[in-house]
Amino acid sequence: MWAIAIKDMRAIGNSVQVWLPMLIVPVIMCVLLPGGLILGVRHFGVEGMDNVGSLGSLDKMLAALPPSSLKAALDALASPEQKLLYFALNYMFVPFFLLIPLMLSSVITANSFAVEKERKTLESLLFSPIDIPSLFLGKVLSAFVPSMLVTWLCTFLYGLVVDILAYPIYRRLIFPTTNWIVLIFWAVPAVSLVAVFINVIISAKVKGFQEAYQLGGLLVLPVLGLIMGQAMGALIIDVRLLGWIGALVWVLDFGLLRFIVRHFDRNKLFESQVS
Amino acid sequence: MEDKVVIKLDGVTKAFGSMTVIKDLSFTIRAGEIVGLLGPNGSGKTTTVRLINGVIAPNTGSIEVFGRSSLAESDSIRARTGVLTETAGLYGEMTARENLAFFAKLYGLRDPQHRVEELLETFGLCEHKYRKVGAFSTGMRKRLGIAKALVHRPDVLFLDEPTTGLDPEASRDLLSYIEDLNKNEGVTILLATHLLKQVQDLCHRFLFLHEGRLIEAGTLRELEDKYLRSFQVKVETDLVPKGSSYLGFSLYDKMPGFLIFNLQSKEQIPILLSKLLQAGPVYSAEILGRDLETLYFNIRGEVQ
Repeated sequence: MWAIAIKDMRAIGNSVQVWLPMLIVPVIMCVLLPGGLILGVRHFGVEGMDNVGSLGSLDKMLAALPPSSLKAALDALASPEQKLLYFALNYMFVPFFLLIPLMLSSVITANSFAVEKERKTLESLLFSPIDIPSLFLGKVLSAFVPSMLVTWLCTFLYGLVVDILAYPIYRRLIFPTTNWIVLIFWAVPAVSLVAVFINVIISAKVKGFQEAYQLGGLLVLPVLGLIMGQAMGALIIDVRLLGWIGALVWVLDFGLLRFIVRHFDRNKLFESQVS
Repeated sequence: MEDKVVIKLDGVTKAFGSMTVIKDLSFTIRAGEIVGLLGPNGSGKTTTVRLINGVIAPNTGSIEVFGRSSLAESDSIRARTGVLTETAGLYGEMTARENLAFFAKLYGLRDPQHRVEELLETFGLCEHKYRKVGAFSTGMRKRLGIAKALVHRPDVLFLDEPTTGLDPEASRDLLSYIEDLNKNEGVTILLATHLLKQVQDLCHRFLFLHEGRLIEAGTLRELEDKYLRSFQVKVETDLVPKGSSYLGFSLYDKMPGFLIFNLQSKEQIPILLSKLLQAGPVYSAEILGRDLETLYFNIRGEVQ
């Protein structure tokens, strides 16, 4: 199992074309965007940022929040800049950290069986004595481990950027909050794993990388829904919601793992991929 | 060669969708044999190799390897078999050494480095061991593919079109290695190919597949006895006979320095040669049309 995972992870590491795009988008999301936002608010204030995206309407939305831990946290902050940034950095950016492992898992996992099939190496794997659950788990690990590592690295960089650049505004560190701890160690691994499982299943069923990648891309839709929902004020991605999302997705993970172990055998995998 | 049966197929049928590619296939292979699985493209050779290794399941019939069911105990069977697929199935982005080390781990070798180096040496790939396989020639890939199939010292080796894409010299070297492997280490070998001339002298026995069905099986001698009903013997001699027969034997053709006789049976050959030697010098004699390819077409002709 680990032999396959390590082989696949080395292949990712050896290919700049694969890992560089995997890093660029997360760095933009987790370093440049929050950094730009903090610097913008620091230099122009909330009023000056009114014309930037939906920040002005966000300010109004926060004022209308129902009583909650977020409302209490915001009420404890003095200036509109502090309130707006606190909400944006600890809530608005949260779905991005669900998006990153989804995107990474999709790219890596689409490679797993589909590329083995395209390069005619899957047959060699199937002729070896490795059992099919181990083969699948090797493929799962080869996508799960790098996508978690990159996500955690991005979170660390995000924390650095936020705490360093926002310190002059708050005179204290505002990252991490409980929200982030639940996100990173509970919801992100669950979401990342579900993306890997679904993509591995797709990759095992289809015959080419493009097909696998396009189908796997559909997985980002629920997270885009969360981003939209929060931006429109329909929901707040707080600790409770993240806890529920994590719990539901872990159950889904367990179900998908059972499906993989029960559904796939060598014969089915071979006939769908090789013959 | 031992009498122990290592592979046994009994009434095996395999269909993909509505297309039946293997039909009621039965044969056995004994330990230490080199068996040629012969037939044109699409006759079911590769599917047979896959079925024996338990990577696909038959629709009907049973397959036993080392006395175990190829379906119920396929992992333990595959741990003792090695397969060279037609494309070799190697990772182009990995070096030769990395490829062998990876497959060694898949086959459960704990410390494969010594075995990997030994195989690289055996197949003349030491100089290229740090090169990526994607840059290898077809011949080098095939050699590395066989090394990969042998990394765990299998008891049975399956070679699917091992010489396809190789130049004559590389083909000869590869076939010579296969022969040595069989003689020195007793590895049982099933060699699937459509290149009959190359394996004629290598294989102990032949299985002929046609449209998924076993149409004939036997040693070269057995096949000759069954399918060569008339013999043409080409004799190198200074004798210059006249007419369409000579010394009581029918003459098929006459060329400067050569005579070709039509005989009814193999037993007539020593009689012919004896009479010719009494009449004049005979430098060489050769039975025509006894090669595997001619036999194959005779067999197919009878089946159709």
